[in-house]
Amino acid sequence: MSLPRSTRRYLQLDVFAERPGGGNPLGVVFDAADFDAASMQAFAAWTNLSETIFMLPPTSGDADYRVRIFTPRQELPFAGHPSVGAAWAAVEGGLATPRDGALVQECAAGLLPVRVEGAPGHLRVDVRAPRAREIAGAATRHASEVDLALAGLALGQQAPALWSNGPAWWLVELPDGAAVRAMQPDLAAIAALTRASGAVGLAVHGRADAIDHQLVVRAYCPADNIPEDPVTGSVNACIAAQLAQAGTLPGRDGRYVASQGRELGRDGRVHVHVDAQGEAWIGGQVQRVIDGRVGWPAHVGNVR
Amino acid sequence: MKRRYVQLDVFAGRPGDGNPLAVVLDGEGLDDATMQAIARWTRLPETTFVFPATSAEASYGLRIFSPRREVPFAGHPSVGTAHAVLEAGLAQPRDGLLVQQGIAGLLPLRVEGDGAKRTIAVRTPTARVMEVATASDPRLRDALRGLPLGALPPALMDGGRRWWLVELADETSLRAAIPDWNAISKLAHDTESMGICVFARSDDPVYYLAVRAWVGAPAHFEDAASGAANATLAAWLASRDALPGDTGFYRVSQGREVGHDAIIELLVDGAGEVWSGGRACTVVRGRIDWP
Repeated sequence: MSLPRSTRRYLQLDVFAERPGGGNPLGVVFDAADFDAASMQAFAAWTNLSETIFMLPPTSGDADYRVRIFTPRQELPFAGHPSVGAAWAAVEGGLATPRDGALVQECAAGLLPVRVEGAPGHLRVDVRAPRAREIAGAATRHASEVDLALAGLALGQQAPALWSNGPAWWLVELPDGAAVRAMQPDLAAIAALTRASGAVGLAVHGRADAIDHQLVVRAYCPADNIPEDPVTGSVNACIAAQLAQAGTLPGRDGRYVASQGRELGRDGRVHVHVDAQGEAWIGGQVQRVIDGRVGWPAHVGNVR
Repeated sequence: MKRRYVQLDVFAGRPGDGNPLAVVLDGEGLDDATMQAIARWTRLPETTFVFPATSAEASYGLRIFSPRREVPFAGHPSVGTAHAVLEAGLAQPRDGLLVQQGIAGLLPLRVEGDGAKRTIAVRTPTARVMEVATASDPRLRDALRGLPLGALPPALMDGGRRWWLVELADETSLRAAIPDWNAISKLAHDTESMGICVFARSDDPVYYLAVRAWVGAPAHFEDAASGAANATLAAWLASRDALPGDTGFYRVSQGREVGHDAIIELLVDGAGEVWSGGRACTVVRGRIDWP
């Protein structure tokens, strides 16, 4: 049995998951140095996963590995769950060895510090997210759309605001985690708000007092044809920045765990840490669900 | 437990041209909820699970799941699963035939050739004409506005799933057509159908028909390669004595407008049965670890 063309290693991982199916899937193609961008994009469209990544040798002497991240439609400079999966794959696949638990990832957004803990098979990976900032005045400019998107919802203490760490997210605090889980989103109104303000989506969060998580999060991106995203790295980093600024971080010592995705039949856990410098780190466990080889032409020109 | 896992491109001679499919070759021990969870997680149009047959006449058993629900029959999952089963050596054709045992019953598959040149066709459940309409039908008018129509009237066919089949005047207009998604969605809801499958005759040396399949419900999308919809189209053309070519065998081109380039082979045999098939290529081969 042979695949039709030269093959390379392929993994399909579940990120932010403590069991297969709990998190956000990610395709990983190893040894992709000879792939051209069009071929990467074609394969990412074919897998239909929210992201597919390609592992490459670093071009910077300061980096341990390089990764390119593609959605089915476009290349992304940075994304949270693909970066956590990339670091996991780099270590488990033997491409990089952490020094004192640290790695440096090279991606289109630049060099990104990564922390890796634990024994092989049980690695915990954390990546530092680009610094988030509030987009001042957005809530005033879009007050009527915000009101429509949140009509009938009881809100928490924090006023709704637009934050960005690359992608821009509307962040809305609800009174508690139970209110987050019970929310029936008005997707048409959320789509109108995010389109009008150039945001990727709207996320709600509320505190919980569970053994294994202190915050409940849900994220809606209806304008991108994703009614609700199962587990979202970037949004959890934005929420952490907002809570840190307000001085209301849950958990202890700037560390907490967010639960996301149960309403979609998933059970994602995002480990969040705001460090002494105010940088937000996001991480979690990774499950190796599919392990095999892929045969895909490295050059689109050879195919058509 | 790790189970053998394959991801294929069906109705394609090259990776990326066809319709993707995931196949779990060792389905034994998986319950319905777990199969549904895996099919949701792969995010592919369909995921199939292979089991040992329980009928002496069958070569293997299979279950077919979309991300939302179990599907009684679908064309590209049947063809792709047979390809994966043959590659893995789980079954051998007898007199050129395999028999799959699904929840729609036993269905034979014809196997011709070997390796990359192998073609597999599944005998599709009998389709029937539900309704023959006119282009001025108020339910169809908006969805067909601006399209130059061909000789046959629009028809609603039922082959498990229901499709409106609409002939267009020529291949150039078919390829240039821009679907009106709101109108197609309304038509699909109003008539409990998938949507519209438009087709046009072609002078191409490889294929006689060009097809586009616009799904209006539950989501809006253009299908890259539709085995079952093309089978209902063959049954419709046969019922009007309008099959292309003169042997009952013809090829269809589908998917170019959405970045694919699938070839689907149709055969209407002497008994009037419709077979739908083509080539398939394996893209990913490995194991899946799902407790």
